[in-house]
Amino acid sequence: MVNNARKPFGYEPIIKREDLKKGTKRKREEVGDWKQAMLNVWRLVDEQRGLLITVLLLVFASSGLTLLGPFLIGKTIDNFIIPMKTDGLAMQIGWLLAIYTGTSLTMYFQNFWMVGIAQNTVYKLRSGLFNHLQKLPVSFFDKRQHGELMSRMTNDIENISQTLNSSFIQVFSSILTLGGTLAVMLYLSPLLTVLTMTIVPIMFIAMRWITRRTGILFKEQQRAIGELNGMIEETMSGQRIVKAFSQEERMKEEFALKSDRLRRTGFWALTYSGFIPKVMNMLNNAAFAIVAGIGGLLVLRGDGIVTIGTIVVFAEYARQFTRPLNDLANQFNTVLSAIAGAERVFSIMGEDAERDAAEANGDIQLKGNVEFRNVSFGYAPDTDGYTVEDVSLNVKAGETAALLGATGAGKTTIVQLIARFYEVDKGTILIDGIPIDELPRATLRSQTAFVLQDPFLFESTVRENIRYGKLDATDDEIEEAAKKANAHEFISRLEEGYDTLLTADGSEISQGQKQLLSIARAFVADPVLLLLDEATSSIDTVTELEIQAALEKLMEGRTSFVIAHRLNTVKKADTIYVMDQGKLIESGSQSDLIAQKGMYYTMLQQSKL
Amino acid sequence: MPMKTVFSYAKPYKWPIVIALILMLTELSVELIQPLLIAKIIDDGITAGNRETIILYGSIMMGLALLALVSGVINSFFAAHAAQSFGYDLRQALFRQIQAFSMSTFLRFPTSSLITRLTSDVTMAQNILFMGLRILLRAPLVVIGSLVMAMLVNVKLASFLLIGIPFLFVFLFVMARKGVGYFSEVQRRLDRVNRVIQENLQAVRLIKAYLRGVYEGSRFSKVADLLRKDTVKAFRMMELIMPILLLIMNGSLMIVLWFGVGVVRTGDAQVGEIVAIVNYAFRITGGFSMFSFLIVAFSRAQASSVRMEEVLLADDDREIMVPGETENGNEKRGALEFNNVSFNYPGHPEQVLSNVSFTINPGEKIAVMGATGSGKSTMLNLIPRIFTATSGEILLDGKNIEDWPLEELRNTIGLVPQQSVLFTGTIRENLAWGDPEARPDELEAAAEKAQIHASIQRFPANYETRVGQKGVNLSGGQKQRLSIARALVRKPAILLLDDSTSALDVKTENALWEALEGERATMIVITQKIHTAQGADRILLLDEGEVAAYGNHEQLMDQSELYRKIAESQLDEEVADDGEQRKETLRLRTDH
Repeated sequence: MVNNARKPFGYEPIIKREDLKKGTKRKREEVGDWKQAMLNVWRLVDEQRGLLITVLLLVFASSGLTLLGPFLIGKTIDNFIIPMKTDGLAMQIGWLLAIYTGTSLTMYFQNFWMVGIAQNTVYKLRSGLFNHLQKLPVSFFDKRQHGELMSRMTNDIENISQTLNSSFIQVFSSILTLGGTLAVMLYLSPLLTVLTMTIVPIMFIAMRWITRRTGILFKEQQRAIGELNGMIEETMSGQRIVKAFSQEERMKEEFALKSDRLRRTGFWALTYSGFIPKVMNMLNNAAFAIVAGIGGLLVLRGDGIVTIGTIVVFAEYARQFTRPLNDLANQFNTVLSAIAGAERVFSIMGEDAERDAAEANGDIQLKGNVEFRNVSFGYAPDTDGYTVEDVSLNVKAGETAALLGATGAGKTTIVQLIARFYEVDKGTILIDGIPIDELPRATLRSQTAFVLQDPFLFESTVRENIRYGKLDATDDEIEEAAKKANAHEFISRLEEGYDTLLTADGSEISQGQKQLLSIARAFVADPVLLLLDEATSSIDTVTELEIQAALEKLMEGRTSFVIAHRLNTVKKADTIYVMDQGKLIESGSQSDLIAQKGMYYTMLQQSKL
Repeated sequence: MPMKTVFSYAKPYKWPIVIALILMLTELSVELIQPLLIAKIIDDGITAGNRETIILYGSIMMGLALLALVSGVINSFFAAHAAQSFGYDLRQALFRQIQAFSMSTFLRFPTSSLITRLTSDVTMAQNILFMGLRILLRAPLVVIGSLVMAMLVNVKLASFLLIGIPFLFVFLFVMARKGVGYFSEVQRRLDRVNRVIQENLQAVRLIKAYLRGVYEGSRFSKVADLLRKDTVKAFRMMELIMPILLLIMNGSLMIVLWFGVGVVRTGDAQVGEIVAIVNYAFRITGGFSMFSFLIVAFSRAQASSVRMEEVLLADDDREIMVPGETENGNEKRGALEFNNVSFNYPGHPEQVLSNVSFTINPGEKIAVMGATGSGKSTMLNLIPRIFTATSGEILLDGKNIEDWPLEELRNTIGLVPQQSVLFTGTIRENLAWGDPEARPDELEAAAEKAQIHASIQRFPANYETRVGQKGVNLSGGQKQRLSIARALVRKPAILLLDDSTSALDVKTENALWEALEGERATMIVITQKIHTAQGADRILLLDEGEVAAYGNHEQLMDQSELYRKIAESQLDEEVADDGEQRKETLRLRTDH
């Protein structure tokens, strides 16, 4: 089975020699990271200092009681059993019972509160990470797999949770026991203590050797879980396509590859971390041998420094000494794996939030003048160039602007810039004459409604999905909006009407119906600025015509940007902007553009072919 | 038996498990022998004043310590191998099972829950196996060993220790059972947390556009808080184990001491025996304290096993792939026939399609039109059996599609869905989905037909540009065209386009239809555009799940009021100022 010492069971090693070299750049950065990560977690724990101190006191008490119990039992044997005395035995046993009840109670309550502290910390960490994600720019999400981010919120934080649950008390009580035992050992025989202590440096060397490896491995393991999670999420979300193209085998292969990567890192992480208790056990046994062997030889010397009795008692204490060391070593491992999780969590926390203007312009009621001055923008301008280049346009409050052009011309990008999903690279966008980056996002977005190309519905009722446009909308307002958006009719036909629960997959309603709900959502929002990006592309033209009037009514008195390929949506716009490959090439009213006989005219002709 | 189902995946690792257990026992024996050797050193060495004996036994102790270390280290390898490979196999089995699910079974499980089951739940099962190989046997062995030793010392006194044991077992059993319930609740809460995060990632733009960050934050806090509360509840419950266990064991010890005096007085026991029994009682307590650990792990593993078993045994209607039976060279002609097909989504009684019947000849191009929610997409999904018709039959080349091997059926079909889904990877990889063996020039030819080749060439890395969740920003139209190209790569006998040109401008769309003229495939095209429909051989008009009309443009203009309504709605579109003239144009065109 073990065919090769370097590759046991065929597991390729994960750690390369250069990973362990001291002072490499990667190494130094990582040290900084994990210290910071630990500190950050500690801060959250420390917020509950009162409870934490209570827990520590309880650990102190229970450690004391644990030591007191055997001591009293010894006394009982000496004072009652050996002299065969029953007077006061009941009293003595009563004391013992009290002590043991105390032990159990202190033990229970220290854990009781520690679980609370740990889970509060985890909760804060989770919510903190989530809230931070809300502040990150759209571009952050463009480049990341959903499942990978999800893994940080679940698998990585779960690691921290497990550690906080148990390690804290363990570490503290181990240190206490260690100190106590050491004191007794020194009292019994300084010489034997020093001899026993010779194992400590060996322990340190072994620990270092192991943890340098596990530190890297745990991190790799969390990364592997994250990637696997990413792959699972993506596959499951696109399961229909997988089926339609019968690519199950391919997905299985890809999954096997990622899953194997996790197995490999997991194997090495478990193996190396599994060494720790074994090494500790060995040192434990070795300490025994040292005490018995060398101690024995010392007794033979007969100078009375070491006696048989000392060896017997000492051996027991040496055992007690190594046990907390063993526990500490094990906890060290758990802590390392938590740190691996924490680092991944805090690397997200370290991402820069969307830049935002000061609250100074806070409560501005926007009128809705939108002006682009020589705006250029690219998603990755260095490599891909600009998606929108040198665009200038001016839309007055209350006007409707239509954006037209071939796919990939930059229309969606323009409206996303107005919603400030991205920051322009060159030029400025002015809203009511104020540069967009001096306007707080809240001010801008609270007065904007955006109907996106891909309608998204939450796993909630139809009603709640419409209410998303305005959280305090009444049921009447919601129905009103649904009626305007022509959604009321199909909603009424659903089994439970507005209370129908939509599932994640949303197969119970059609794409067009989803678009109708998105439009209803915009109706409810009652915005100053309305951005419609292919809002009706999946809706049949009869229905579209029916909501056209309502849409026009909605646009009345609001500044609207409309992207549509069907020209009837476009023709009533005050200004039509025609884009081509990121540039604005024509603009004007429908009749102006027809007169110009430019690109718009050509498009109009083509649509009639 | 969920555990049994799940742990059957550990069977292939029987030998590593056995070896790991043997190694663990070796370690344990060394630990138990050590005190005996110390006794030897004291009795035969020190008391007898024999240096050699001391050195001999001292060395033996050292040697045994090394032996324990070596067994321990090797045990690490075997235990890690067994646990990780078991976890790997379990994940594989789960994933394979999920891939074999029919769509309706798949929809029973939210994706967020499937993700938790494939990761967190597998980890729980893996943990208990690993722990088992390291400490599971140790705890009972310590308890049993110490009890036996105590009995040997003095049966009467030791029997007092036995009093507590049945209570302990009942208690542990009850706790383990309760734990399962509590921890499955925790896993369910984790599903919810996962779901809210997933929604937030999918809807980033919507949430930002409506400024709902704070709202989402509070929504998340709610689910995270429930997770916190249930986790706390579960663990606080489990934290009861240790203190109660200690209380029972220490109580038994008190009884030993209480009656000890009497027993010693009657001469049934010696003081030394009491000391020994007290010592063994300590060890038993130590052994039991490992149980509290194990019970938490066991409860979690059991709770997770139930969840995994749900997936593993959900084979009510698994899709059966029979790739071997594909008759190669037997080209499909692409004739399709719907015979009284009705369909409703599982769990939703409303009929989406009712008694749909029509036939399509090989190579024909059919346009499907109808109002939003009239069942167009659903109908298309029935052809590759993404969903199975509730009643009626669909025939491909005269044979019921349920009689075709599933893989063969799907390989004949190129589906372009309404919402373009691309996977993380390069454009080339995404296109090769259509046919993994396609040559580069075939991929490019398909891209060219789909009108996306030129755009791809403008990308910085061409066909190697990364797309999907981690990829570049593609416009809606670019995604649509890539997914059309992906379908074309298959050279399908049947091409299904589900409103897949909605984001394309007229020019690009016209060029696309022109390029598709040359395809010999049977085409079913869902469209909103009358203009596209006109180019089709026939038009299938759906109304509330029923066939309202089936025929070419002229026939439908004549027969169907609904169709005329649709036509007029778009007629208006082209009539900017001068309606009459355009209507004239349309009539001329239709007469043509």
